[in-house]
Amino acid sequence: MENNAEWEPKIVAIVCNWCTYAGADLAGISRIQYPPNARIIRVPCTGRINPFFVVKALQEGADGVLVSGCHPGECHYISGNLSARRKFAMLKSFLNYIGIESDRALFTWVSASEGERFAKVIKGATEKVRALGPAQKLVKKI
Amino acid sequence: MESILRKTAKELLEGKKVDVVVGYTQGSVPLTMSPVFITNPDDAERLVFNALCSQNLAKYVHDVISQNRAAQKRLKPEERKKKVVGVVARGCTTRSLVLNLQEKQYTRDEIFIIGVPCAGYVDQKKLSAAVGGTEILDGSLTGGKVTVKTPAGEKSLVLAELLADNCLVCAYNNPIISDITIGEPAKPMNSANEFKKVEDFAALPLEERWSYFAKEMEKCIRCCACRNICPSCYCPECFAEQSMPQWVGVGADATDTQVFQLMRLFHMAGRCVDCGSCVSVCPMGVDLRMFLKKLDKDALDLFDARTGINEKDLPAFSVFKEREKNEEFLFEP
Repeated sequence: MENNAEWEPKIVAIVCNWCTYAGADLAGISRIQYPPNARIIRVPCTGRINPFFVVKALQEGADGVLVSGCHPGECHYISGNLSARRKFAMLKSFLNYIGIESDRALFTWVSASEGERFAKVIKGATEKVRALGPAQKLVKKI
Repeated sequence: MESILRKTAKELLEGKKVDVVVGYTQGSVPLTMSPVFITNPDDAERLVFNALCSQNLAKYVHDVISQNRAAQKRLKPEERKKKVVGVVARGCTTRSLVLNLQEKQYTRDEIFIIGVPCAGYVDQKKLSAAVGGTEILDGSLTGGKVTVKTPAGEKSLVLAELLADNCLVCAYNNPIISDITIGEPAKPMNSANEFKKVEDFAALPLEERWSYFAKEMEKCIRCCACRNICPSCYCPECFAEQSMPQWVGVGADATDTQVFQLMRLFHMAGRCVDCGSCVSVCPMGVDLRMFLKKLDKDALDLFDARTGINEKDLPAFSVFKEREKNEEFLFEP
């Protein structure tokens, strides 16, 4: 079992190539400090993110999942993030309904020029997941 | 009503307006009805419609049409023939048909809807509980009474007490669309407290909700009967069987079952018509409706979307707006 004192939250950040990934890049080249807890997965667009990705990440041991893309109206593919927003609004509500803490799945927007915001998002997400402790529900013990 | 149904089906088949009529017929087990495919006008006599008909026939309409298409794959496009399927459809069945039309599974001219009013169907699990789980040797349905013959003797039951949960709160028990409607429109059911159970469940503490979900999913044996009967589940290849990527492990791990159910339920987001087919076929009695109804409620609350009630609208996830009314789910650091 993991020792709570040494436990660090594992966060899977699924981000879109055009905004949030570029925002993360900007945070990097601006040398903004943020916690190293997020593992970034780059996808072409948030519209490509199947809600299964979130569920599967939680099952495979992520303590939290962060999904981030372009702000509404700024999607590289015009409307990918708008259809994603509908999916994630329902997914978040449904996960909470079946009894998974709602802070385990976080959804937000970060644009390419918001390096500062990206660092803040990762920091905020890490704090939220840290407060919840290690994930116990839905986690496959291998 | 049944005589008009039979006459209509016979005329449709004789007039070559439809190639097959999908309806209900007497099942081999007492007090059950099973789906039937009528192609010969003389067989139209076998059609029945009563409170024991529980399946959502939209599933079979999709099956017949897609199989007909698959069989003609190698023909030249101009030689392909469309099959017109007549279907005996109650409210929820028409909603499923509308959903399939919205999702462009077939065109309106490929189906002929024989609309029937519905006052709810008998939940076989409630019926079985009412006779104490004993074998039903024979039975009949007259008026508002169900007469059941068991080894212990005859028993008379009240039909209204045996109706399925989804029927009791059904808001669309009359056909949404139809080419012919048979009989008088049915009286509305008690749809005012449609979401009562969901609201009560949502008010429980988080841990209780999770233990209920885990307890229900513990029962599931992953036989996929819920998926196979569901008129909204028609993917040629289901995620449950996909191996690249393998979404769901094949072992007996409890979380794999939870993930399978969670994913299947979420596929129903904005697509569930609450026909109760999955609940009625579940051999383990998993309370799927508690979770499906939540998705129904969310689609209505967040996007004002109700599945299959309007041919022109699209399902909740097929459309979007620039501004949605509920955006507080977004995380602001």
